[in-house]
Amino acid sequence: MRAVWKAARAAVRRRRLQTLVIWLVTLVSTGSMVVALGLVDAASAPFDHVFGRQRGPHVVAGIDPGKVTDAQLRDASRKSGVEAVAGPFRQATVDVPRSMADLGLGGEVTVVGRSGPGGAVDRVDLWAGRWPTRPGEMVLNRQSDWTGDDIGKKFHLPSGPTLTIVGFAFDLSDTADVWVAPDQIAALHPNTTQMLYRFRDASSQSALSAGLARVTERLPKGSLRGSQNYLTLKHRIGSNARAYAPYLMAFGILGILVAVLIVANVVGGAVVSGFRHIGILKALGFTPGQVLGVYLVMVSVPAVLGCALGTLTGNLLAKPFFQFVFTGPDSGMLHDRVGIAPWVNGLVLSGMPLVCVLAALGPSVRAQRLSAARAISAGSAPRAGRALGIQRTLAGLRLPRSVSLGAGLPFARPARSALTLAAVVLGVTTVTFATGLATTMTLFGDRGKGAYDVTVYASNYAHGKQVLPVHGDTELQSLLGSLPGAERVTARGDEDARLEGSAQRVIFEGRRGPDLPLDDVLVRGRWMHRPGEVVVGSAFLRRNGVDIGDHLRLRKSGREEEVTVVGELMQDNDRVVAGTWPTFTALVPDGKAFAYHVKLRKGADGTAYARAARAVDKGLSTQLTGPSSGARTIIDSATALTLMLALVASLGVFNTAVLNTHDRRRDLGMLKSIGMTPRQVTVMTVTSMAVLGVIGSVLGVPLGIAAYEVVVPRMAAGIDITLPSYMTDVWHAPRLAGLALAGLVIAVVGALVPARRAARLTVAEVLHNE
Amino acid sequence: MVTEVRTGDTVVRLDGVRKEYGETVALDGVSLDIRAGEAVAVMGPSGCGKSTLLNMIAGLDRPSAGTVVVHGENVGELSEKGLALYRRRRIGMIFQFFNLIDDLSALDNVALAAQLTGTPARQARRRALELFEELGIADRRNAYPAVLSGGERQRVAVARALMNRPALLLADEPTGALDSRAGEQVMDLLLDLNQIGQTLIIVTHDQHLARRCASRLVEVADGRVTGEHTLEPSA
Repeated sequence: MRAVWKAARAAVRRRRLQTLVIWLVTLVSTGSMVVALGLVDAASAPFDHVFGRQRGPHVVAGIDPGKVTDAQLRDASRKSGVEAVAGPFRQATVDVPRSMADLGLGGEVTVVGRSGPGGAVDRVDLWAGRWPTRPGEMVLNRQSDWTGDDIGKKFHLPSGPTLTIVGFAFDLSDTADVWVAPDQIAALHPNTTQMLYRFRDASSQSALSAGLARVTERLPKGSLRGSQNYLTLKHRIGSNARAYAPYLMAFGILGILVAVLIVANVVGGAVVSGFRHIGILKALGFTPGQVLGVYLVMVSVPAVLGCALGTLTGNLLAKPFFQFVFTGPDSGMLHDRVGIAPWVNGLVLSGMPLVCVLAALGPSVRAQRLSAARAISAGSAPRAGRALGIQRTLAGLRLPRSVSLGAGLPFARPARSALTLAAVVLGVTTVTFATGLATTMTLFGDRGKGAYDVTVYASNYAHGKQVLPVHGDTELQSLLGSLPGAERVTARGDEDARLEGSAQRVIFEGRRGPDLPLDDVLVRGRWMHRPGEVVVGSAFLRRNGVDIGDHLRLRKSGREEEVTVVGELMQDNDRVVAGTWPTFTALVPDGKAFAYHVKLRKGADGTAYARAARAVDKGLSTQLTGPSSGARTIIDSATALTLMLALVASLGVFNTAVLNTHDRRRDLGMLKSIGMTPRQVTVMTVTSMAVLGVIGSVLGVPLGIAAYEVVVPRMAAGIDITLPSYMTDVWHAPRLAGLALAGLVIAVVGALVPARRAARLTVAEVLHNE
Repeated sequence: MVTEVRTGDTVVRLDGVRKEYGETVALDGVSLDIRAGEAVAVMGPSGCGKSTLLNMIAGLDRPSAGTVVVHGENVGELSEKGLALYRRRRIGMIFQFFNLIDDLSALDNVALAAQLTGTPARQARRRALELFEELGIADRRNAYPAVLSGGERQRVAVARALMNRPALLLADEPTGALDSRAGEQVMDLLLDLNQIGQTLIIVTHDQHLARRCASRLVEVADGRVTGEHTLEPSA
């Protein structure tokens, strides 16, 4: 064993470059695999983790208190299959003052009376202040990235009571917007009783429906007003990550293929190029098993080190990326709990070295079976020429001889060239796919760009108090339009409304002014022009099963309006319905704009305009239009992953070029001895890899386009949007020509260093050694 | 620059050439003149520096000190590219182990030397074929090195060395890897070449080869020239 270890250590020392390549390839490949697999896994895992910790309810049921008593509900819950239950809790729907909009609360909120945040089900995370213990106190449901500074603020509800914020709590299951003490809820006129259930079998929609049916079967008919299960919630929360999942999956698969191929190529090549050394070991008395051991150790040491460091690097790289992906209105609460799953680290740490060992095993076993004499001669004895027809054809072409010689070299080592070609193909596929994705994402991020430059909000907050504008709604629009630099001003107002035939509330948005589309993108149909016409997002259409031309009935405070859908927006919010101002005021007669979108004249200073707007009325706040960080992140991550995979592919080419140069040292020495210049040697070596690059481009570009066509529509569907054709029509001739160069660039970059090394070979030394 | 050379002119001049490999001194102050049309044999024990001497003249290596002037060109001062062009135009090299490219046929191996100078492929193959005829291996032109005998491989190597009509033909143990019959054939070939005016420098252990082909014998030991003798042509 000591002899094996000694010989392996000597081999590692002697082959420093090859050891470095194995280490580098495994490091980069492992790093990219960790990021890709980790992200795909994280798309669903954080919800399960947090939901489990909070013992979230599998089903939230709303019961009519007029038909069922609390005792009946408790009794009905004692059923087999019920793991735990919380409630009954009184629930009220309460109108809140406009000033509560600054706390992220709309016109109507769900208030629940609970005596504490704990319990067998739905353990609410009270992260600031305390739980309400008496009337007049409330806790708001907010994520922990919200400020706790608002504790102590009082709000007078239109229905009478005044409530003071005494704490903030976070509930992933969103069972309430506000919690009050049970003594307070009666004053808020509760109309529903809330029950929270956990079932033993909660694996599917049908299991949850069956569980709910069991606990409500003895209740009077019509007593169940509504219910929500955790699978719907999980779908909503995972939507951000789901948008990334198909593209990450594509990158993950590409990364795994590239990594495995390159590692197999590098490791297999290392063993093949060591045949002569194997022969010497055998001649010295090493048994076939010991020879196998030497080569496996020689390859495993850098591979295991590369995998370990690659896993660490992947974990470090993933953290900031994960934090972005899981930050947002629906999933931001998970940002500090997301990390690489242990199984990903385990799989990669054990899988990649295994790939290396398996790749080394084939040629090692072959070497093990060779006689010592044959193994020795395998490194230097003349071989019959291979691919000679191609060599002859190339020699006859009117090309510089260094080019035609180089072009023929890949055909002399068909197996090694095939592996390198596969790596280049995957590299080009990745570059092509990522380029298409980045273009689409850039167009997506730039949607509505230039629609307006400044948004002025009809609300401000100063010294802890809300300040409302002193000017009226239309007066403000005129004033803002008259400020220096303003070209056009469009107002936007919204209100919650009920959609007939659906339990879901919609956000009915009215627009007034010259730019009704604002920053929205129309996918199908047309913009609203006349009263009664609305446009909605793709998600709204899918969720509610409606299409362009269908009529919707909206209700608000006893009023009812029928509207017609005339267009589909690229909009992932499934609650927004947008119409003209007359349509809006028909349903909400006292409706006011909450924001004014200002398009500035060319050359006007946005900051100066915003300052001027705030000076007009202390009740105004402003925001300058910025770039879309979401699209930017995808572009950046696609670029980073592409560069990583292109680097791995280049390393594969680099390795092949190094091995070929090593194998052909004698030939190169001879060629130099008969007058081949260093430049010609470089050209020949680079050409040998450039051939693979060109073939790689021819195969890789169509594969990349195919990957794009599969992944991008699924990505859009993942966040419930339809992309307009101008965003997906990304394959134009100049771009395709550029992509065709990608393979060539990967190959040339990978071959350049070994080529220059070959050019610097000292002829006398090489030929003397032979 | 092409220099007109007449028989008897000095074509190679080594002056105080020293070559070190780390702490090992391979050549130590070697001075030597070789005239056009001469056939010089360099002899000495293994490791004495004779191959290093040949490499210096061939431009395959550079001296650590001293000068190597061939046809008026100071080889040690040439750039890498300059050395390549020098080898291409002035030198023909024959190795003990032939150094043919396994992936090319015999004819292509030989034509390659001309093609590197920019000679069109067809013209290069025609010239190679002439050499194959002269060397008696025309019927083996399409064979690959792996299937040629040692003597045939060395003849291919000689053809390749002659391809660009070099002023200087250098041979490093040209019969060292051949059986006696093949060795005799190669000796005849070298003798014939010298008799038509080809300047020849042969590094060898073989007394018989030296006496048969060379007109002057240079003895080397421990990196130094220890003796020079004029040889009578053998029958």
